[in-house]
Amino acid sequence: MTLKEKYPPGDFAIWIIIYVELITFGLLFLGYAFSRRADVALFNESQLLLSQTSGFINTLILITSSYFVVKAVQSITSMSEKSAEEANSKASKWLLYAIGCGIAFIFIKITEFYHIFGAGINLSTNKFFMFYIMLTAFHFMHVMLGSFILYVIYKKTKTEGYTFGDYRGIETGASYWHMVDLLWIVLFPLVYIIR
Amino acid sequence: MKKYLEIIWLILASLTLFAYLLGYLKIISTFFVAILLFTTFVKGSLVIEHFMGLYNVNLKYRIIPTLWLSAIIVLISVAYYLPI
Repeated sequence: MTLKEKYPPGDFAIWIIIYVELITFGLLFLGYAFSRRADVALFNESQLLLSQTSGFINTLILITSSYFVVKAVQSITSMSEKSAEEANSKASKWLLYAIGCGIAFIFIKITEFYHIFGAGINLSTNKFFMFYIMLTAFHFMHVMLGSFILYVIYKKTKTEGYTFGDYRGIETGASYWHMVDLLWIVLFPLVYIIR
Repeated sequence: MKKYLEIIWLILASLTLFAYLLGYLKIISTFFVAILLFTTFVKGSLVIEHFMGLYNVNLKYRIIPTLWLSAIIVLISVAYYLPI
């Protein structure tokens, strides 16, 4: 039997933040789901104005970026005392891919917002778009923060900042990024697909 | 298993494609919504367990995101299936 770790990976404070974020988004998800019951036709009609394809591509981008981040963390946590340089180099490569994914997500989302806002839609248009804008804009801000965090970690790997036994920072940033991915995994089918 | 992360990514990508096709082909029905919610739970669990790395962590911390995900999926199902 494998001995379980006592605490989750990374700094414990990030897990408090993650739990709070999950509850906040969870309430918004449920607000959307139960508000939909009051006017199913309006929600279904409004949903047709969204691009399911960009939602799908963004989901693929986020799960792929999460995979890259796990590979980066693995490179660092599996290093030996003598392989710090190689481990940091490998991790920086994976992180660069993940940051690229974050930027691609942001670009696609901005394009989507441009079309939505360009069509004269705003928070007051109707209840569907109020939830859509609140959920996706709030999530968008998390992607931007997450991408910045990945960049900070990337910079540290470039200076071989992670050494044998000292990798809490990369685990902390990675946990935050996976939370951003987890939230989108629920958001995509709920807002873009289910009708 | 050496390639287990790649397999998890492949499962996540396949389930995402499945969800997209349901929407794209406009074959969303009450039956498929149940399947879609179940696959969302599977995807979320895979991220929690294998990407967040909680599969190897003390149950009291591991269970919190899983309970959150279960509660969200169940309550979305209630909102969807409860007669209006």
